[in-house]
Amino acid sequence: MAAGPGLGAEELDLLEKSLGLTKGNKYGVQGERKTPVLQTNSGPSLTGLTTIATHLVKQAKKEQLLGSNAEEKAIVRQWLEYRVTQIDGQSNKDDIRIILKDLNLYLEDKVYVTGNNFTLADILMYYGLHSIIADLTVQEKEKYLNVSRWFNHIQHYPGVRQHLSNIVFIKNRLYTNVH
Amino acid sequence: MLPSCLRTPSFPLQTLYTYPENWRAFKALIAAQYSGAKIKVLSTPPQFHFGQTNKTPEFLKKFPVGKVPAFEGDDGFCVFESNAIAHYVGNDELRGSTKEAAAQIIQWVSFADSDIVPPASTWVFPTLGIMHYNKQATEYAKEEVKRILGVLDSHLKTRTFLVGERVTLADITVVCTLLWLYKQVLEPSFRQPYDNVNRWFVTCINQPQFKAVLGEVKLCEKMAQFDAKKFAENQPKKDVPKKEKPVKEEKKQQQEKKEENKPEPEEELDECEQALASEPKSKDPFAHLPKSPFIMDEFKRKYSNEDTLTVALPYFWEHFDKEGWSIWYAEYRFPEELSQAFMSCNLITGMFQRLDKLRKNAFASVILFGTNNSSSISGVWVFRGQELAFPLSPDWQVDYESYAWRKLDATSEECKTLVKEYYLWDGEFAHVGKAFNQGKIFK
Repeated sequence: MAAGPGLGAEELDLLEKSLGLTKGNKYGVQGERKTPVLQTNSGPSLTGLTTIATHLVKQAKKEQLLGSNAEEKAIVRQWLEYRVTQIDGQSNKDDIRIILKDLNLYLEDKVYVTGNNFTLADILMYYGLHSIIADLTVQEKEKYLNVSRWFNHIQHYPGVRQHLSNIVFIKNRLYTNVH
Repeated sequence: MLPSCLRTPSFPLQTLYTYPENWRAFKALIAAQYSGAKIKVLSTPPQFHFGQTNKTPEFLKKFPVGKVPAFEGDDGFCVFESNAIAHYVGNDELRGSTKEAAAQIIQWVSFADSDIVPPASTWVFPTLGIMHYNKQATEYAKEEVKRILGVLDSHLKTRTFLVGERVTLADITVVCTLLWLYKQVLEPSFRQPYDNVNRWFVTCINQPQFKAVLGEVKLCEKMAQFDAKKFAENQPKKDVPKKEKPVKEEKKQQQEKKEENKPEPEEELDECEQALASEPKSKDPFAHLPKSPFIMDEFKRKYSNEDTLTVALPYFWEHFDKEGWSIWYAEYRFPEELSQAFMSCNLITGMFQRLDKLRKNAFASVILFGTNNSSSISGVWVFRGQELAFPLSPDWQVDYESYAWRKLDATSEECKTLVKEYYLWDGEFAHVGKAFNQGKIFK
């Protein structure tokens, strides 16, 4: 399993801080995959990263982070699902390479995961990929140029990075003949 | 904390004077969207009447240049030039929070003005019908635009925005400067190689702060071409106000009544002129000359479209005005240095390009004679006025000293022969002693 903040309660703490929520919820875990659980004051408990994250965004009154129209909302959900099902728990080098390759292609014409606007999908994709990107060599980062550009932009987005390490990207390419 | 949508209401009410849909004013208005500055825009009568209000003594007292956009704070602070206004109404994040970032932002803002505005105007204005189409100039402008997009593309390959990780005045300025290109002429196949620029541009225009000012921007689907009809419609408007400027109030007002409906094209024309003038100061170096009955453009049309021997040459001699124009013979002074024919041709076309702004007031046929390593260059030039035009602008002086210039007596037989042979690219060329290789026309 990938190490780092990618999973569970720790990541939700990060998200709370970046959303400006100061209360600090307590999270439990459930099952073998340590799925986070949040017991709300006024209702049933919420299970799973994306469910709780969506709840936190609403709590912070930042609904625009969930997408501003029907299509964008769908794309946000799509990438949250991708994050949980494809990225989480990925430790196989080859699988990681495929993820990065696909993502690199996808981000070629996009600044944010949904296109033009910063959303929750960017935040959770960033958290989920942090440990993977941190392990990349300079040459690999350059190979996945669009991922790197996106990642660097998101880690500089106000409030997002919190205590996670700042990953360095070189903007002047060194390996210009490699694509 | 993620940035909140709240605007700081710390700015007093401020005024921006402009004409409607002015891309330069957009820079300031988008910057204000980011900073939360409240700006009242005065762009339509009766509050602001472009071409009238900005010529009043009251306006000129505040803004001596009389240009728009112009900005006035409610504390009386006045500033003109769109970049300065955007700087003032923006915030620290837009201006660059470190010395380095601030310098890079100025770098891109200046790049937009110096490198993008001129070719963008040359290419786009004819498609809007506010400037005459010149194929050579347009082709040159297209190449320039390619170069600029290439520069931006490699910069944006590894970057989200031009400077740092947030939108700055650099992005606002360059986006606004590229706006007309993207709307009018950068059709999908033309812009396709510049993926990184496209991504950045589309992201910017879709930011809520850009959208609030620009609305939905529709990217070009098919490259717009010269709009001759619209140009013809705009023509009288173009000429009249220019001449009327110094004329008495009464007449001026009549004129302005006529103009009332459509104020925009006039200002855009001003921009064309700016783009065309190599130096802001050197407006028209031929302005002092009395009007000439010889219409160079008409001759060039005849020369380009009709038979040279039976139509263009007779037209030339029938209408040529030797008081207003002069004919010159020019010979390249260093024929021994000429080697490959294609290089010699580049020498000629390079000179033509550098003389681009002289086109309205000159015509030439320059011929390369001989073969590789044994060639010569000579040509016949027609200039407005009686002097060589080159000293009038520093841009024009690069090549002319490499040529020996001799003024021809327009009534002489020699002149008639030279004009005929050089215009035709055919004849004895008795004075040359080498065979015709190829010719180039400056028009």
